[in-house]
Amino acid sequence: MSRLPSRYPGERLFSFLLVIFSIFLLWRSYLISGFSELSSPGAVPIGASAMMVLASCIAFTQSLKTPLDQEARFFYHCFPPVVGFVMALVLVYAVVLEQLGFIATSIIFLWVALKVLSQRSALWSLGLALLSLVLIYVVFRLIFQIVLPEGIIPERAILAAISRFFGGE
Amino acid sequence: MEALNYFALSWLSPELLALTALGTFLGIYVGAIPGLSVTMAVSILISFTFSWDVNHALCLMVGIFMGGVYGGSRTAILLNIPGAPSAIATALDGYPLAKKGLAGEAIGLSTVMSVIGGFVGIFVLAIAAPTISEFAITFQPRDYLLLAILGLTLVGSLSSGSLAKGLFAGAMGVLVGTVGLDPLTAEERFTFGIIELWDGINVIAAMIGLFGVSEALHQLHHLDKAIIKQKISRIIPPWADVRRFLPLSIQSSFIGVIIGALPGTGGDIAALMAYDQAKRSTKKPEVPFGQGAKEGLIAPEAANNAAVGGAYIPMLTLGIPGDAVTAVFIGALFIHGLNPGPLLLIEQPHMFWFTVGNLTLANIFVLIFGLTGIRIFSKLVECPKGVLIPLILLLSVVGAYAINNSVVDVWWMLAFGVLGYFMRLYNYPIGPVILGVILSKLIDENWRRAILSERGDMGQFFANLFSSPLSSVLLAAIVFALFTQTPLWTRWLKPKLFSKV
Repeated sequence: MSRLPSRYPGERLFSFLLVIFSIFLLWRSYLISGFSELSSPGAVPIGASAMMVLASCIAFTQSLKTPLDQEARFFYHCFPPVVGFVMALVLVYAVVLEQLGFIATSIIFLWVALKVLSQRSALWSLGLALLSLVLIYVVFRLIFQIVLPEGIIPERAILAAISRFFGGE
Repeated sequence: MEALNYFALSWLSPELLALTALGTFLGIYVGAIPGLSVTMAVSILISFTFSWDVNHALCLMVGIFMGGVYGGSRTAILLNIPGAPSAIATALDGYPLAKKGLAGEAIGLSTVMSVIGGFVGIFVLAIAAPTISEFAITFQPRDYLLLAILGLTLVGSLSSGSLAKGLFAGAMGVLVGTVGLDPLTAEERFTFGIIELWDGINVIAAMIGLFGVSEALHQLHHLDKAIIKQKISRIIPPWADVRRFLPLSIQSSFIGVIIGALPGTGGDIAALMAYDQAKRSTKKPEVPFGQGAKEGLIAPEAANNAAVGGAYIPMLTLGIPGDAVTAVFIGALFIHGLNPGPLLLIEQPHMFWFTVGNLTLANIFVLIFGLTGIRIFSKLVECPKGVLIPLILLLSVVGAYAINNSVVDVWWMLAFGVLGYFMRLYNYPIGPVILGVILSKLIDENWRRAILSERGDMGQFFANLFSSPLSSVLLAAIVFALFTQTPLWTRWLKPKLFSKV
């Protein structure tokens, strides 16, 4: 990552967006309580956002002066398709987590992610996904007692049935 | 006697002992894998352990911290890829040693020196913290404000090539920390009329996003990198070597503990400074520095582990984090109902002595696992990224969800993850963001207290700032930290002042 003094494609746009974002936050900070008092609730937000505006402007100016890395391509070195794919996959995972539940979504997420990222067979990925999920479930759900969304798989009923089977209640 | 009881608490309880051992083991593993950081591990763990008893949670996290700082040296020596930023200096001479077939000896020596450094750091913490804590009670709100700004300035200026980017990240963190209802007046700040934002943005979700998700996404760039395997022979270092390098190790440890204790500076800077100092003080090394000098391996390793104890000093006595990891730790302490700061040592001295005892225990586990499990670790490090990344992402989502059983925190985590990804890509440092979030409350409260105590008179505020020796020193340190980033210093003064050294 130590590529200075050249810059990656997209850095200028990113720095510019940060300038716009900082100005917007400065305006929102001003709306909290204006410049009414030095100890008002908006004082620190105004100070912090003003610093953001100043620093982002300097960073943007620096990016204007820094030459572009001619060999770097945005969709290869900065945002390769695999990053976009994984971001989208995590997004979908988060969207359906509550509806489908932890077990169903996690197994699909792990299977797809392992298949794509490790480039092994579908069966190998499914096996590893199942194994990992069992391990995670035992550690976090059963030992750490973390509450996770149940969704379409009635895990409490399954767990009760298993404990009845072994415990003989 | 009471202090001794609390010191030994984690040693005598089988549960706490096991958790510390587990934490240290995991820490070494996490630290050894490039792309997995201690900050990431602790951030994710907070969400899983916040319902635990505080002692149990602390044992696990202290172990991870101690083990992780040491573990970073593994891949630095074996693969020339520092597992953690604190191991960057270790790679300079560690990897050349490995190339000569001395990987096992280098790892053994780094283990022993790390442990010595760790003990020095803990010793200084035990001695200095109570004194600093007593002194800190006399601090005025403006001093806390200046300390927090100093921390942000140092971490902002040291952690990236650009001061502007560092300051931007720190200021953004402060702003994120102010989201929600104002604690004094209940006025809405950046809530946009959304009730869910009244409590602010969840710090843990932000931490998991910035350190977990963004790091995992970044590691996707290195999926196809082949793993280089090194042969490991002798592990236990020769006693003659340990004895010979002991003075250097102690000297480096003291550098580490002092640098670690400065707000905003952590193990990475401590290691680089100790390396530099070792280079200056070693007149005739057997092997030149950079080509496999043992001195070049020992100095950074002793320093970065000593910096752990050092970083605990401002954290426990002032409530000010030394770096990103200690910022996450402060977040964890808050969640467990503890309030790090000068009153912690007075109101809850047992927590202090428990932490000191636990750090010592974790350091002993570093020695045990460090010298016994080298071959297992070298296998574990070879775990492909294609398997690790999906698991990290899954744990991040589960961890964020588990905070409040709410998917809203998952959205925040994702947003910070994507932002963190682009920030890393374009060299905006991540550490100051989280430091800013943690310090935000301290800055906000103390700024307002300082102004109210002067009845809103800025003239009086500045008059007191310059008349108080402590405030003046802190202000001078901030100005100096900023000045060292200006062209006047970097291009003109610095070469003139340090050219002869």
